[in-house]
Parts: sequence; C-alpha cells; structure tokens
Amino acid sequence: MEDEEHYRGGWELNSKGKLQLKAGNKLNKVGLGKIFYNPNMPELDDYYEPWTYDYQTLFGPEKKHQPVARAKSQITGQTMTLTTGPNWDDDLAGSPEYVKQDPNMDKIETDIKTNFEQAFMMYLPRLCEHCLNAPCVASCPSGAMYKRDEDGIVLVDQERCRGWRMCMTGCPYKKVYFNWKTNKAEKCTFCYPRIEEGEPTVCAETCVGRIRYIGVMLYDADRVESAAETPDQSKLYEAQLDLFLDPNDPKIIEQALADGISEEMIECAQRSPIYRMAVKEKIAFPLHPEYRTMPMVWYIPPLSPIMNYFEGRDSINNPDMIFPGIDEMRVPVDYLASLLTGGNVPAIKSALYKLAMMRLYMRAKTSGRDFETAKLARVGLTENTATSLYRLLAIAKYEDRFVIPKSHKEKVEDAQSEQGTLGYDECKGCSLAPQHGSMFKKAEAGESTNQIYAESFYGGIWRD
Amino acid sequence: MSFESITAQPAEAIPTPIFSSAKHDGDRYSPFTVNIDRLVPFRTLTGRQQFYLDHEIFQEYGEMLANYKPTLPPQVMAPGDTTVKRDDHELALRYMTPHGKWNIHTMYYDNLEMLTLFRGGPNVWLSPIDADKAGIKDNDWLEIYNRNGVVTARAVVSHRMPAGSMYMYHAQDMEIQEPLANITGNRGGSHNAPTQIHIKPTQMVGGYGQLSYGFNYYGPIGNQRDLYVAVRKLKKVNWNED
Repeated sequence: MEDEEHYRGGWELNSKGKLQLKAGNKLNKVGLGKIFYNPNMPELDDYYEPWTYDYQTLFGPEKKHQPVARAKSQITGQTMTLTTGPNWDDDLAGSPEYVKQDPNMDKIETDIKTNFEQAFMMYLPRLCEHCLNAPCVASCPSGAMYKRDEDGIVLVDQERCRGWRMCMTGCPYKKVYFNWKTNKAEKCTFCYPRIEEGEPTVCAETCVGRIRYIGVMLYDADRVESAAETPDQSKLYEAQLDLFLDPNDPKIIEQALADGISEEMIECAQRSPIYRMAVKEKIAFPLHPEYRTMPMVWYIPPLSPIMNYFEGRDSINNPDMIFPGIDEMRVPVDYLASLLTGGNVPAIKSALYKLAMMRLYMRAKTSGRDFETAKLARVGLTENTATSLYRLLAIAKYEDRFVIPKSHKEKVEDAQSEQGTLGYDECKGCSLAPQHGSMFKKAEAGESTNQIYAESFYGGIWRD
Repeated sequence: MSFESITAQPAEAIPTPIFSSAKHDGDRYSPFTVNIDRLVPFRTLTGRQQFYLDHEIFQEYGEMLANYKPTLPPQVMAPGDTTVKRDDHELALRYMTPHGKWNIHTMYYDNLEMLTLFRGGPNVWLSPIDADKAGIKDNDWLEIYNRNGVVTARAVVSHRMPAGSMYMYHAQDMEIQEPLANITGNRGGSHNAPTQIHIKPTQMVGGYGQLSYGFNYYGPIGNQRDLYVAVRKLKKVNWNED
C-alpha cells in the first residue's frame, strides 16, 4: 500500500504546475463517467480476505485423525488458502518478495536491502494524517468529507456519504475504509468528542511508550495551496514548516484574536509540544510530504539502532563521533528521508545529530562526567534547551504531552438546553447512520454484543 | 488463598519461600531481595551469593563456573530410528523455539484477532539462503522432522534469519490449520514435537548445599532445544478431516 504510483493517491502537479489529484479531479470523474469506474480502487485482495476458523470440527464425533480447525473465509464461508493477511510482512517476513515492492527501499543499496548482517526495520504507527490539503476531501463527489474549521479534524458526514469511495483512492495513506454494512466511508475521527473536551485521543492517551503528543499549531490557511505547489518535492517539508506561525509573535497574536481565535487557543499554541518539536527544534517530520497533502501527524525519526556505535568507552569524550556515526546508522538515513522528508537527507541528519548530542549530554550529566558544552551549539542546542528537550521527550508529564484547548460549545449552542442530552441525537450530520441505529434494535431483540459486532463491524471494515 | 478467591479475581502467589521478595510498600516482585533486605542467608554452602561450585562432579566436567560449550553436532536421525526416505533438497537446520512477539505460550493468543493477525496457523522462519537451496518459497508448506517428531508449517522466508538456523515460535497449536505430515500420516505436532529433554549428569547432582535435583527444575536447562531438524517441502497438503 506504500506505492502510490500504483494506487494513485494524493496530489501531483499538472503541466501548469498546479495541484491536481493523482487519480483525476472531480469534474473529470463525473464528466467522463469515471465515477462508475475506478481502476485505482484498492480491492479486497489489496487488503486481505478476513477469515476465521472452523472451530466446530474440534467438537465433532471421534475420527481417525486429531481434528483441526481450518481457515474459513468470513466473506464466503468457504475454506480458504491463506495468501495474505494483516501484518503478513511483519518483522521482515517474506522480505525477498516484499522489499522489492517498497518504494522507500529504492535508494537503498541492493546488497543492504536483504542482507542478514545489515537487516533493518522499524515500526511506524500510521493513522489518518488530518491533512491541511486533504485529498480525500477533494476527491469526494458528494461533499461528505470535510475538514473542521475549529480544530482541523477531517471527518465523514455519514448522512451525505453516498459510498462512491473516491476518498479511499484519494487518500495516499489509505486511511479511509468502507463499511460494507452501512455503505458509508469511515475513518479516524481523531476522537473529536474527547478533543472538544480538551482530552487527548484514545490512541495517544493509552500509548504504553508515551510516544504520542498532541498540541495546537497556528498556520496560514491562505498559503497552503501555494506551499503544496512547491515544485521540488524535497522542499515540501520546509514549505509546510513555513506555514506554521509563531504563537509568541505579537503581530500573529493580534491577527489571531482579530480572526476570532480564542485566547485559550493561542495560549495552548504557545505551550504546544508539537510546535517545540516541529518548528523550534526541527526533530519531527511529516509522513510522505511528496504526496503534497500537508499532513498534520509528524514523526520523530528513530535513533537508537546506532547508539552502540558511539556510546562506547570513549564516546563521551568525543561527541564528534556522532557525525560520522549517523551515516553508519542501521536504519539508513536515505530510508528515513524517503518516508519523512521527500528525500531531504540533511534535514533528517540534523534532527538525528541533535537527538544524539542531547543523549550524550544527558548521559555525561547523569554519570557525572565532563562534557564540553560548546559541542551542543554545533547542533543548535544549549544546556537549557538540551535538558528541556530531554524532559519533553523522555519524562514529560501528561499535561506537557497533551496541550488541548476545550471547544467552548457554549459559545455556539444553548448549553443550558443541552444539559442531560447525549449531545449527538439531534445534531444533523453527526447522527448515527441508519445501520448503526439498527444495531440498537438488534440488541433490543436479544442479539449478543458479539453477534452484532461480528455481523456489523469485523466483516465490514478492512484493516491493513 | 482459596479456590473461591482465585476464581473471584486474579490473585498473586509466591510459591517459593527461598528466592522470594518481601514486596512491602508496593514493590514489585524481585527475586532474592529478602536475602538482602532482611539478611536471610542465601541457600548456599557459604550462605552468600556463590558462583563457584566445588563439587567433584562439576570439577570433573569443568563446569565449576559458567562457561561456554559448543552445541551438539548436527544430528537429525540416529541409528536404529525409523527410516525416513530423504528428500533430494532437504536441509538440516538448527531448530530454535523463541517466545512469540504477542504471546506467552498460548496466553493472550487464543482469540480470533491474534490467530488471524500474522499468517494464520503454524509457520516457521528461515533464511532466503537456505530457502533457495531447498527450492522453498515464502508461504510454501513445509515438513520439519527429526528423530523426535514431525511438524507441518508454512515457510516465512526472511533475511532477518541467519543461514543455517530456523525459528518456530512457541505454542502455535496443532488444532489450528495444521495438515497431516507425509512421514507419519498423522497430524503434525506443535513446536515441541521435534524437541526432547536431554539430561546431563551434572543436573542430577543433589544433597549438596544448594544443589537439589528436581525433575525439569534444576535442569534440564534450554538444552532440550539444542537440536537439528530436517526441513523439506510438504509434497501433499492433506487435511484428512474424516
């Protein structure tokens, strides 16, 4: 699913240098009748055919052989041969075949690609990127997908969705799914009811490694289009970075207040951990900026696989070792640049230098050794910023990781009359789709939660 | 602790008084901490932590201190075993059975999400170098055997594996998606079918300070997994559900 030359998700520049959906624009689809024919649509086998096991045979009559529960399709109910599944290529499984299909491996030297001694892999949790220039929104013929003004969350209006599924093609991250029971598109909602209450998403809150951070970013919406039209794809990361506004700049604050941004929002933007990591320290990067989507979930590239190289006996005395060290990293910088900067290797390297230097500094500090603090300046750190960056990345508290303003719904609706209500039952556009409503009926008719779940969701949502 | 209390909710049990932990003030379990915190002598001849064993059988084997011993030479079948007709492209690989990524034996694993998460059903990992030698492609059915037993599983070919060794992750049970083995005509076994306990003489030393033999307790250590298997393609995938 990483190969968007094949699946045609995201944007490209046309001959005039203007943005255009890779899969063709809306008019083109309707005008040429392509709305009924989408050759780029990922099909069942591009995800996998979900299966279960025929457990009943384990409880059958006595037989000659020990009984076995065979795989059985959840779609057809027939016995099936398993050829693809979720995590099928997990941990480099089937690498001789699948490495070839990964466009991020194109720049990696052939003898490193599948060499045991130099094997590398990393996990990258992917979710909806809630893009500034969301191609799913632009793809939808029904106008059912939208990006909310107040918090930037991209959602599907379940009432307006007509099941064209152009969003599935349009999204280059392939993070819109189709529910075959409701015939509507479904996607990550960024847990908007929680965000509205100032709480983090469930994935961020429950992350055991505490790797997820959420914060406010102020940006210039009028310049998104021109930034996404930056011709050189390795400059797109910087173009997006340039959209973000400094929340401490008095002029920006004045303009924001004039545009109706609340003081609380501005104050949260000033404390935003994301602003610190993405803009100030430049250690976080967007996923595949070359899709021209201006994604808003950013990633810090991993460092640990190279630490052995320069955390040896003499490394504290010689922090300069990190500069050649980064090039010797087990996860090659070219691979990270292909994922996170559209091929901009220097940007990735300077982030890794900074993270490595911060670690060396903290290690020297906690083990009571000398450290030539002048070295910090070479990667743009001071003793203070190195320490506070370490705190933010390693031991940040809940309220430092999640700086989320409440939505203040009392300003847009009559809060008193809403007391005691569910909050969604009369809201046009966010009501339950008819099929969801029918689940309550099924429950009333005595079906168990498991039965309803199996019928309504598991077979209906494709996960990759 | 009673049967009622453990069926009502999970309960913690520390069955041994010897290697124990005081666990006061909400500390997590950590072995031997009572010996330090409460000055309970260690159960050794000296009452202290002791690494050197001056037992004559250990001396005879040169194992008074922990030391490296090479693995046993590759042996799949032994004289006097049932004859198995060898395949032309058969591999002899070191067989290892690590714990799974998501499970501890079958715990947390025996549910639909986990059983359909990766490849579904039993699988074994081997290197592309070995796979090429035997004409094995990713997801091919394989038959893995030695003098102890037979497993059928699908191949996961990955350069994460070094040549000469293979993995079969723990506890992929034979009730799920396991065809018949061609060698025995019976259902293939689980990861433990090719393994067998080897007992070393030093593991039976007892009555001497801290050394007290208990079956599968004071040894055998992991050496029941120090063995080799023959790996070949499964010619006929026969489920035989009658």
